[in-house]
Order: sequence, then C-alpha cells, then structure tokens
Amino acid sequence: MKNTLKVQRAIKDLTQDDLAKEMGVSRQTINSIEKGRYVPSTVLALKLSAIFGISVNEFFTLEDDD
Amino acid sequence: MCEKERRRLEKLNKFQLSHSYKKIGIIASITIFSLMIAKKFIDEPDWVKPILSGLLLVSMLLISLAKEKVEDEYIDSLRSQSYRFAFIVVIIYSLVQPLVNYGVGILFDETETLKGFDYFQVLFFMLVVQILVFYKLKRYNK
Repeated sequence: MKNTLKVQRAIKDLTQDDLAKEMGVSRQTINSIEKGRYVPSTVLALKLSAIFGISVNEFFTLEDDD
Repeated sequence: MCEKERRRLEKLNKFQLSHSYKKIGIIASITIFSLMIAKKFIDEPDWVKPILSGLLLVSMLLISLAKEKVEDEYIDSLRSQSYRFAFIVVIIYSLVQPLVNYGVGILFDETETLKGFDYFQVLFFMLVVQILVFYKLKRYNK
C-alpha cells in the first residue's frame, strides 16, 4: 500500500515530531508509515484524515500486490 | 468462550509495566549477571545458583514487559513480532542444538549422551532473543 503522508506533511509544513505529538504516537510510527513499512490501523488512518482534512482514500492507495 | 473470559484474556494480553521498570530491570539484570560470573570464582552454597537464575529471569521479564516512553500500536506490533520470533527460534534451537552437540560429541567421545537444556537456559535464551529483536526492530525504523 502506498501513501502520501510525506507529501501531505510537507504541504502542511509539519515535522514528523510535530505530527507524532499531535496524533499521540511515536515519531518512529510516522517514519515507518511514510516509508511504507507499517500499515496503520483504521483509528490512526482516521486521525490522519481529521488532522489533514482530507479523506483516507487520498492518503492511502492499494498496490497491485495488495 | 464467554464474554467475561474473553475480556479477562484481553486484559492479560495487554498487561504491561510502566516505563520506569525498564531501568530497574536493566540495573538488576546487570547486577545479577555480574554476581553469577563472580560466584564462579568463590565457593558458595548450592541454593545461591537457582536463586540468582530465578532473579535474573524476573529482572529480564521486567525489561520485556516494561512500556516504551510512547507505547502506541506500532510499538505494540514490533513487540508482538519479537515475541513470535523469539518463541519460534527458541523452540527450533532447543530441538536442534542438543542433536548438534550429540553429533559433534560422538565424533570425539563414543560415550557421549544426548542431553537437553534445563529450563533456565531455554527461558534465558528466549528473553534475550525477544529483547534484542525488539530493540533491533525499533532501531531499524528510527
């Protein structure tokens, strides 16, 4: 699964640390989501959606092997 | 499984100690491990070894069960991966290693017998593997 978190974060001019604090998770969590190593739960995906004001579908897209 | 049992199991599954126990566990483990090495050079009563072994396992369990500073779902998934890895590796190791020891031993000494591990070795190895794998996974995603 691909995601656009890094781009969205850059648009909002947020650091990984800022976003992690806002979401109540560790910075490593944000980093691993951005690198595609970790697929977040629905709860985290919805939190991201609420913070950035865009739908979950705009963040995450399925790849061929998903 | 009834609802009450399910909730109890869920609670037990999520049981963790506060972050401060990690420091206590590390200090205790190092101290006990040093004592275990030191006792090899001095005469001590028979009851010392099992007590030190038990205390070492308990202090390592404290490290294993202590929460991280920020304990979220990602850290939880890394923790689960490390427990799964440690469980499988230790079972395979405990099955294979005695056979390897026996095979190598019999090449040099025909009276070699097949010996297993005692519970301390298995549990110690399992905790070491779990703790190391967990921190390795955490570091990998820093």
